[in-house]
Amino acid sequence: MGEVFVFRPEPLGDDPGAVTEVLTAAFVAVREALEGGRPVVVSLAAGDLLGQGGPLDAAVAAGLLGMVRTLGIEGAKPGWRINVVAGPGVAAEGADLGVAPEDEAADEEDPVGLIIGELARSELTGQLLQVGGANLGKLPA
Amino acid sequence: MQAAALCGRGAGVSAAIVTGAAGGLGGRIGERLAAAGHELVLVDLDPRVEEVAAAQGARGVVADLTRAEGVAAAVEAAGGEVGVLVNNAGITRDARATKMTEAEFAAVIEINLTAAIRLTLALEERFARGASVVNLSSRASLGNFGQANYSASKAGLVGFGRALAQRWAPRVRVNAVAPSLVDTPMTQAMPPEVLAKLVAKIPAGRIGTPDDVAGVVAFLASDDAAYVTGQVIYVCGGRTVAP
Repeated sequence: MGEVFVFRPEPLGDDPGAVTEVLTAAFVAVREALEGGRPVVVSLAAGDLLGQGGPLDAAVAAGLLGMVRTLGIEGAKPGWRINVVAGPGVAAEGADLGVAPEDEAADEEDPVGLIIGELARSELTGQLLQVGGANLGKLPA
Repeated sequence: MQAAALCGRGAGVSAAIVTGAAGGLGGRIGERLAAAGHELVLVDLDPRVEEVAAAQGARGVVADLTRAEGVAAAVEAAGGEVGVLVNNAGITRDARATKMTEAEFAAVIEINLTAAIRLTLALEERFARGASVVNLSSRASLGNFGQANYSASKAGLVGFGRALAQRWAPRVRVNAVAPSLVDTPMTQAMPPEVLAKLVAKIPAGRIGTPDDVAGVVAFLASDDAAYVTGQVIYVCGGRTVAP
């Protein structure tokens, strides 16, 4: 297995066209990583999965989760490992939610980074791991 | 009574817009909403929507909702206040992820998700108090082989709806309906043995009908659902809980 590839969407603003662009770019990048034998982690803000941020950020977050679940199913045979980790916050608040720092996995001070590191080493696939408890008492994503 | 008044429309007549209305499901949804007293606006890229609309005494709009002028035409056709919007338009371009082209992925996202977002946001000021938006999602939003694009688009609709439900409450309710296999021309075109295998996984023991779905859409559009927002109802014969 190669080095983990982390995809983290940037806040979208208010242009609906960005939804298509970001999801398509994610698909292309993630597929390339999987075909290259790398484990993939999509890193999302839990608030976006719950719809507590902007509607476009929520659409992208939920869309990425749907895509990951399908890739988890399709990847059973070739042994792809792709998961989602949802951490505290919403994209609109997160100036630090830039694109996929690959060294995030090494930051074991950060609970999200710790989970990413664990996912890179595990056999899990197609799963959503949530950090911070924002999901408790809410709808399952 | 007071709670219902917070989100219900009461007795007024308002426009109901249904996209993807030339198809069997969209047409049936239109019929159910017309029966509930709405003035129907049926929208589709397919010109046959005009025949469907004429048969229902509705306004038919041929429009490409991926383009600004198409969205504007749909908004214009609604006239005044909009009481119901059903985002039903959608396509499939199925392929394993390894074979799926970037264009196939983008097209499904653009039509199923981004076009719905554009139309919904364009109607923000037109929605009546107590209006209802119903997004047609899918059980495939939970993951489905060969449908990375479709899964993403239908899951995205759920996320979008959850956010809008919070942002627009209590003026507008936003929910989703997530069908599984429905008896449409698309499923009728499947090889019978493939279809039989899929139906065998459904605890209800049969394929869904457009009426199964339209009935739930009509419920969410009605004041009976005045206290329901931000939710997803799976209309799948129990498929989501079966092995």
